[in-house]
Amino acid sequence: MLQVNTILGARTDPGLHERLHRLEHRHAVEVVTIALGDLDRRRLLARTEKGEEIAIALPRDQKLFDGAVLMMEDARAIVVRAGEQRWLRLSPASSRAALELGYHAGNLHWRVRFDGNDLLVSLDGPAKNYAARIEPLIKGGHVSMSETTE
Amino acid sequence: MSAETQARVGAARVGIGGPVGSGKTALIERLIPAFAARNVSLAIVTNDLVTAEDAERIRRSGLIDPTRVAAVEAGACPHTVIREDPTLNIAAADELEMRFPDVELILIESGGDNLASTFSLDLVDWWMFVIDVAGGDDIPRKNGPGVLKCDLLVINKTDLAPHVGVDLVRMEAEAAATRRGRPMALTNCRKVEGIDAVADRIMADVLFR
Repeated sequence: MLQVNTILGARTDPGLHERLHRLEHRHAVEVVTIALGDLDRRRLLARTEKGEEIAIALPRDQKLFDGAVLMMEDARAIVVRAGEQRWLRLSPASSRAALELGYHAGNLHWRVRFDGNDLLVSLDGPAKNYAARIEPLIKGGHVSMSETTE
Repeated sequence: MSAETQARVGAARVGIGGPVGSGKTALIERLIPAFAARNVSLAIVTNDLVTAEDAERIRRSGLIDPTRVAAVEAGACPHTVIREDPTLNIAAADELEMRFPDVELILIESGGDNLASTFSLDLVDWWMFVIDVAGGDDIPRKNGPGVLKCDLLVINKTDLAPHVGVDLVRMEAEAAATRRGRPMALTNCRKVEGIDAVADRIMADVLFR
């Protein structure tokens, strides 16, 4: 098992970018995909796309991110790819529905962002579990929903 | 991993949450000797509402050097100090690490809370949620964030199932379905049953041994 105890930098850093570029030509850059919800962890087990297990244990002042370079050698490198973020788009039909939706989103501690008149809720489970919490709003036609990814 | 690297990276931090009376402190009392047997240097942070009751209980247990047990008084909602603003707990864990540079694992016990309680990953690396059969076999079906999101769900007091009319097999199956296969453990802390499985899970997933 490979141990990773520090982040060397971002793949766009001038000192790393050129070396990664050369390794990519030799198909020697391995990717480890980490779910968005796990990026906040300082310790976790992960697996590269080639199947190698990595034990990541970082100092408390470091955090994983998309493009973090975990290992760089002459023969290969390992880079983090953040998992896909799924969003539940909730569109209130009226100001009154928006007020009530905002109350529930706060009370449920959902992570949200705003897009015009819509509320986007970050999903880390099935969308139906989130919809169930505001079922009267949806069934009553006060809020409509759709799922998106990025 | 070298000792130098360990010191730089710091101790692993594991959260233990769950409802009042589910057995969080009892689990810690059983995990202390389990980690001692695995040569893991341990420290503990407990959270209580307005007392240091759980910390005092562990300090008096004789299981661990009492100075390795820190107490945080939440003062209000227990989840506030493990999720919204975990500053007090981070400070307590940091201080334990400074006083005991050899510490490898810090267990952070939340105050008793409801099923919505979860830990911030700024505070812990990995966390457990402890429920018990006497709390009702319907708990897993209620889809509480604590049950759904924890890294390990612990169902404690399995010995009480026949006395409180709980079908333990069904409760376990429903919990597994709710968690979609994520890890679970059954424990009876009074009789030290299931404790090794919990300790081994932490060894593998958090300490990488």
